[in-house]
Amino acid sequence: MDYQIKLSFNRRLSCIMHIDLNSCFASIEQQANPFLRHKPIAVAAYDTPNGCILAASIEAKRLGVKVGLRVKEGRLLCPDLIVRAPDSDKYRAVHTALRKLLSGYTPKVISKSIDEFVLDFFGTLALQKGMFTIGKEIKNRIKEEIGDYLTVSIGLGPNRFLAKTASNLHKPDGLDEINANNFKEIYRSLGLMDLNGINRQNTIRLNTVGIYTVTDFFNADIPLLRCAFHSILAYYWFLRLRGWEIDDVDWDTKSFGHSYSLPKPLTSLEELAPILSKLVEKVGSRMRHAHFQAKGVHVALLYQDYQYFHEGKSLDQSIFDSRDIYHTAFYLLQHSPYQLPVRNIAISCFDLSPRTTLQLGLFYDSIRKDNLVIAIDSVNDRWGNFVITPATMINTENYVHDRIGFGQIRGLI
Amino acid sequence: MIQKISAPVSVQLVYDHRRHSVSPRQIFWDGRIIRIAKVGMHHTIREGRTLFHVFSVTSDNLFFRLKLDTENLFWTLEEIADGLPN
Repeated sequence: MDYQIKLSFNRRLSCIMHIDLNSCFASIEQQANPFLRHKPIAVAAYDTPNGCILAASIEAKRLGVKVGLRVKEGRLLCPDLIVRAPDSDKYRAVHTALRKLLSGYTPKVISKSIDEFVLDFFGTLALQKGMFTIGKEIKNRIKEEIGDYLTVSIGLGPNRFLAKTASNLHKPDGLDEINANNFKEIYRSLGLMDLNGINRQNTIRLNTVGIYTVTDFFNADIPLLRCAFHSILAYYWFLRLRGWEIDDVDWDTKSFGHSYSLPKPLTSLEELAPILSKLVEKVGSRMRHAHFQAKGVHVALLYQDYQYFHEGKSLDQSIFDSRDIYHTAFYLLQHSPYQLPVRNIAISCFDLSPRTTLQLGLFYDSIRKDNLVIAIDSVNDRWGNFVITPATMINTENYVHDRIGFGQIRGLI
Repeated sequence: MIQKISAPVSVQLVYDHRRHSVSPRQIFWDGRIIRIAKVGMHHTIREGRTLFHVFSVTSDNLFFRLKLDTENLFWTLEEIADGLPN
């Protein structure tokens, strides 16, 4: 790679738009139920005192209720806090409607998460309207066509990083741009931790080389940044802060996983195995629907005292049947050296390959197994998930609910 | 306060061909006719291949979640709530 060591700020038109649905889950609940509007509400994984808050309404945020707090902590800050359980279907419906609306402006619409979209207007006719005009139009159309209580913060910039940074400048309902004319002023108003991707640890790294502000960060040359990051990240940050694109990368699917925070800690294998089985069923189903098979299985356990066990196993052959995934996952679960209450259990399948050909086996009938899996998946697709389930999954109706993960949304159209 | 119900309910639905809109107007439940004042949200879900339309609506003082099974066109009242904490 040729390193551009002297690079000025990108003077390209701000044709990248970052759209962030404000207080996504909570706003959608307020949209659905008008009696919740203008009230402090929180959407929590469970509405029990120890349930984790996943989203807080704008009114609740003003009172200090934040994502990650327990429900009981939220109620200490705001005794009138209304707590709702998540309704994933509703949030997916809004995501799909938003995506459909935005696709009318540019073919390059990328879902970054359930509540975030990146739009690339480079070379599109819509650009002639002007980016601010498009931004205002999108805001109005969301209110008219999707929900009158939904607001979005829109950021414009020459690259994805600056567009996202701009979307965070004014919340809720902001519309801001970071460009070659105003970036110095905006950088002066931001702290290092305000930058997406700079967490506490990266701040310490930057501090160790004398970078304390975003302006210092921008003015730093590559050798100094390399002293802080000791990796290619130094060059990436050098480009990002100057408005050059480095983040337009489409990552392939590397694994399929599912994790679950237990409502109460469980210790025995007999209690954990059915939950593991349900997680495996979900992972296996998603993997097969995406036409993949895996050659590795990984299990991770977080214990109540925050000890952590994880182990993966690579296999000789690719597997796709949930029963095979479960056998390997159960083997790994048994290998945990700790006999402690488990708080969180996660399973993933890795080393993926397209499920295009079937490896025949000498000692078992692969075609028969393949046909059985196809038949079970067909029945579940027709009548709903978990119509046919393995006996190992018994009594798990109240465990592993449908949830939306943080991060990129795949397979949602 | 929120109450999960899952009970059959009678719903009067109006389709307006000029505005391309469909909205529940009133429901008959618990021996009373309740007029729908506002449709907060409409979305669809699938359970298997069956499509359901879910309407989140309010009367003057209550919230109702109504679900239409498109397989048999039967309505279910899934939830009633006011805007108060649990």
